Amino acid sequence: MNVEQILEKLKESLGDALLSYEIKEYTMGVRRKRTLYEIWAEIDKSAFRKAVETIFDIDYPHLHFITGEDTGGDVIKMIYSFGVYHGHPWGEISITLKFDLPKSELILPTITDLMIGAETNEREIREMLGVEFEGLKNKRHLFLPDDWPEGKYPWRRDEYGVDDMIKHTHKSVREIRKKGGENA
Amino acid sequence: MPKSAYYIPIGPIHPALKEPIRVEAEIEGEKVVKVDVKRGFAHRGIEYMGMKRNAIQTLYLSERICGICSISHPYAFVITAEKALGIEAPPRAQYIRPIIAELERIHSHLLWLGVIAHEMGFDSLLFWIWKGREKVLDLLELLTGNRINYSVFMIGGVRRDIKESHIKALKDMITYYWELTEKMKEIILSDPVYKARTRGVAQLSKELALKLNVVGPTARAAGLRMDIRQDMPYDAYADIDVRAVVPQDIVGEARGDAYDITMVRIYEIEQSLDIIEYCVDNLPEGKILAIPNYVALLAKIRRTKGEAIGAHEAPRGEVVHYLKFDGRDGPSVWKVIAPSYNNINSWAPLLLGAEVADIPIVVAYIDPCMCCNDRVALLKTPEGRVLGYEYIHRKAVEKTRRIEREVKK
Repeated sequence: MNVEQILEKLKESLGDALLSYEIKEYTMGVRRKRTLYEIWAEIDKSAFRKAVETIFDIDYPHLHFITGEDTGGDVIKMIYSFGVYHGHPWGEISITLKFDLPKSELILPTITDLMIGAETNEREIREMLGVEFEGLKNKRHLFLPDDWPEGKYPWRRDEYGVDDMIKHTHKSVREIRKKGGENA
Repeated sequence: MPKSAYYIPIGPIHPALKEPIRVEAEIEGEKVVKVDVKRGFAHRGIEYMGMKRNAIQTLYLSERICGICSISHPYAFVITAEKALGIEAPPRAQYIRPIIAELERIHSHLLWLGVIAHEMGFDSLLFWIWKGREKVLDLLELLTGNRINYSVFMIGGVRRDIKESHIKALKDMITYYWELTEKMKEIILSDPVYKARTRGVAQLSKELALKLNVVGPTARAAGLRMDIRQDMPYDAYADIDVRAVVPQDIVGEARGDAYDITMVRIYEIEQSLDIIEYCVDNLPEGKILAIPNYVALLAKIRRTKGEAIGAHEAPRGEVVHYLKFDGRDGPSVWKVIAPSYNNINSWAPLLLGAEVADIPIVVAYIDPCMCCNDRVALLKTPEGRVLGYEYIHRKAVEKTRRIEREVKK
């Protein structure tokens, strides 16, 4: 399958839930130019599981990463990146899914039944952003200490963030000295 | 059942800058019956820090993620940043980068080969291999001024050029390591004791490797032909027909055990020598930075909005970075995935049913970004006995000696 065919399959599978998409092309190489393709798809969150299953139907993928961004508003923008057709020279195609998750309902279905290795990524998102994964069996902390306070998520930029737990982040030494007494 | 723990803390020789880790293993007799992996001991919030700095500062910060493969994160970072910002490095820089990266792969694989030898009790082999590693570190010092943390990559190119005098040193090194890899094949791969000790240990099937999402030599030893330099090539790698090194191409069959992963790493050193030689012989003329003026570079970053994913095949596997720029002079989102992040997933299935004597080999198998050298590790039996790392290591060495005696009969 080439990049257009993959995109057609996603359209066919997701219908209106595929809100927007873009095929990014990058030319690599000096003497021999290669073109690499990436699909970036914005989807409706309700179609997330369907989209992932579609990707697994195309080719058993490699999961590059899962991340999320608290944009400061009412949603967390989730990003899943997969690579299909690894093992094919110059032929891997990256598929990135993006969707908004409302902060009022931070729940996603797990994909660990499809790929057990995704457990690591999901556990990280869970502790860094507060997103719950329905069906995820292992819910222990991945990186944060076991005594980490409940309701605090390092990647959040709202009241659930960790700004009140941080001291001296990227403050200049001069600035710190100026407030000498406050840093005792 | 009381929980027991096999601790792998920071050692003096291997700065565990990414993931010191704790493997809790319960044993019955000589078999592991339960496994739990706990990590996060070195999580320092680097991504969080990086989002509060400008992109050049974050690039230098990314180099501190790992001390052994210190070019891997800057490499992935600059590829990602260049894709997001629409900057292309000059051709000469695109050839210099793989040279540095492959030099790092050589020394990283040699480090691992010494460690795995030590875990089995071959300490003379450890010293011999690490002596051989010095030459590539000397060369990195010659090219960049440092043995690690080279600070040579920059968004839009590299900060140091390769001079004519460097090329002779590179050629000498290539000759030296071709000889060394031949000796290593003879001493390691052809040795019946090493073979008997590693065949069937830490066996990872192709299907399980795929499901665990493992990367790098760990995946390739299992027979998966995945390598970012092959699948999504970048810089001069796109000019070279890099092919994933897999056991079935060497001996006709992939078993995914400790012997196969040793073989993969030795042959990858040879592949690195080929790549370095190609890049040195075909080094284009020209400048090494697209935007030499860093003030202008930061101004361009502020003018550009974009996001991208970039990856580099580090010695341990695929390193992926995601960057988003939205008008600040630094990233607003930075996501880093290191190979051990994925590969540690394989410990639990590999350790289940393993012998105590094989624990160090299983742990070292994936070349994690820390090593269990000369610190006390604890393994608690169900009866409450506490076994130190010395005990576990002694069991590993005893098994080697026993196999050695059997092979020599």
